[in-house]
Amino acid sequence: MKLAIAGKGGSGKTSISGTMARALGRTGRHVLAIDGDSNPNLALTLGLSPEAMNGMPTLTREMLRRTEAGAELAQPLEQICESHSIEAPDGVTLLVMANPEHAGTG
Amino acid sequence: MRSVVEAAGTGNEEVCILDTEASPEHLSRGTARYADAMYVVVEPYYKSLETGRRMSVLGKDLGLERVALVANKIRDDHELDAVREFATANELAIAGVIPYDERLPEAERAQRAPLDFAPSSPAVEAIERFARGVVGDE
Repeated sequence: MKLAIAGKGGSGKTSISGTMARALGRTGRHVLAIDGDSNPNLALTLGLSPEAMNGMPTLTREMLRRTEAGAELAQPLEQICESHSIEAPDGVTLLVMANPEHAGTG
Repeated sequence: MRSVVEAAGTGNEEVCILDTEASPEHLSRGTARYADAMYVVVEPYYKSLETGRRMSVLGKDLGLERVALVANKIRDDHELDAVREFATANELAIAGVIPYDERLPEAERAQRAPLDFAPSSPAVEAIERFARGVVGDE
């Protein structure tokens, strides 16, 4: 099941996404949490420390390949998770899309 | 980003949760499957509701099976009614109601997960119930 939790910055969506992910992880499900914000904060609401996030790689353009339908992954997701994901508590795997240093304001 | 989400369904992860600003720059229109459902988080004041409405329209344009609102930071019935009226006027369902809870901004200031910082607080419990409802556990 794939769920998108959308909202503007400050709406509380990241607290909701992170708490949902942890709660569903506790049911025994494997949960993949993807931080799609330009200003990524999902790690915090998942319970990852700032130290744990230091040096965590974010997805790069080389991992995508242009096709007629748009962009697709150049590597299998499992492989991307191996090198680019981080394990959060309760069986949640986190992928972060954006590098916060390159993010715009707000 | 959509390619990651699309691939997620074929991996061994059973639930994929995408935290997104859902702006047109982040999502692109098309017929490819993006997600099973989009839950748009709104607060009970006009600007938030209007932004939520636009995001919901974008979700429906993407062809998502389910697009619904989550009313967040709700302090009283008056605020819940405001969201309900807006939802009805825009033909949107409210999938969850999360109460205003000071423990959540406190958790953020403490740099901890709400679930760890205040596990039995009203908002955390409401989010857990919402999550279980979404996956059909209750």
